[in-house]
Formats: sequence, C-alpha cells, structure tokens
Amino acid sequence: MIPTMCMVQSGQVPADFQAQLREDMEGFARRSFGASPEIRWIEVPERSGFTAGLASTSILVSMQSSKPLEAPRRVELLKELCDIWIKRTGKSMNEVVCVISDPKN
Amino acid sequence: MPLYVVNSRPGAICDEAKAKIAKDITDIHCEVTNAPPTFVHAFFFEEAPHIPLGDKIALLFGQIRAGRTEDQKAEIVERMSASIHEHTSISRKDISASTTDTPASWVMEGGDLLPEPGEEAEWLAAHEAKLTSS
Repeated sequence: MIPTMCMVQSGQVPADFQAQLREDMEGFARRSFGASPEIRWIEVPERSGFTAGLASTSILVSMQSSKPLEAPRRVELLKELCDIWIKRTGKSMNEVVCVISDPKN
Repeated sequence: MPLYVVNSRPGAICDEAKAKIAKDITDIHCEVTNAPPTFVHAFFFEEAPHIPLGDKIALLFGQIRAGRTEDQKAEIVERMSASIHEHTSISRKDISASTTDTPASWVMEGGDLLPEPGEEAEWLAAHEAKLTSS
C-alpha cells in the first residue's frame, strides 16, 4: 500500500468529487508504484486553514513512493498528480501542493 | 511548503486566536528564513488523530524545506510556541513544537518544483513570467 494523505479545506471537495478523486488516486498509484494507495482524507475545519496568513484554499496531497525515485521520474509523477487534482477540483495550480517522498528506511 | 499544523484540545484555541497565530507563524517563518509568505500554510485541528497530542494541550508540527540551520529551526519553534502561548491561555509547558525536513525537490507547488532555500526570488520571477504568458 502507498501511504497517501489528502488534506483539503472544509467543504472544498463534495462527496461525489471525493469518490472520483479516490478512484483517480487508485489508478495513479497502481500505474506509478504498482500498489493501491492507503488514503487518509483530512478536512481542515472551517476558519482553520491559512496560507500567507489569510484564509486558505490550498489542497495538499502527499504520497510515499514504494522505492526511491530519480529526479526526472519524480517530476513526471508530481506533474501528473497535480494535474489530477487541478482538473477534478477546478483549483488553480497555485492552490495545489503535491509531495512524493522516498520510502522511509 | 512549509506546512505548519497545530493540533489542540477542543476549545483551547478560538478562531480569533487561530488567525493571529497563523499570521505570526507566517511572519516568523519568513523573517527567519527569508522565504516568501505565499509558501506558508498553517492549518489548525482539534484532537486530530494523525498528530497525537500525548499529554500536551497544543502541538505544532512544521514540515519545512530541508536546508535550514539548526539555529533557524530552534528559533522557529521557540517563537511559534511563544505565539500560541501569547494568544491563548495555554502555558508554555503544555505546548510542544517541532519541525521535520522535506527536500524541496520532493514538492510541487504552483506547477513547479519548489526552489532550494535561498533561490526563491528566481523561482518567483520565473513563476510570475509563466503566469503572465499563459
């Protein structure tokens, strides 16, 4: 399983969008890492998210690769992951932050 | 990135205090590191299971770009703990704060890999140019 955290602002991603995103993440994780994601979906409560000191609309998605990645491959995967979230949520690229880390040893 | 997450007992940090602490978190991080404020995220939770409180009333956990000095990190956690104390009734001994390093090359924000610490100006200029041309 690929440890995955999706952190969104309260009410930002309706339930049906969440279901579609979970499907998208399943496909992405299988293609990219050969395993399903283990998704922890976290909603930042209302009036509790801030970016640059102002109310935040940012989404943070973090995945842990099943093996260490070379830089070019990581960039490809990050772009694909960001694109999934930008297209599904309608957020701008400035509002989507993606992290793909190497496995913890 | 950075992402600062504050977890606390229910009711320990009111909405007004969150806004003030978030502003302090942003200002402190930017003063200490010279990073631009657009990168700084501060999110607040109550008894979030993914950030165990232990015996504390409030816990701040910062995921920051690797490359900061130990002195910078010490100043960040000290000043942010002080901010939480100043804006709430939580005593310093009941606040825990720490950071962890994440390589900039692992993070994409604004459609680009994050810059290494110190290279933000060039990144922002290139990012603005990209936005203007698109």
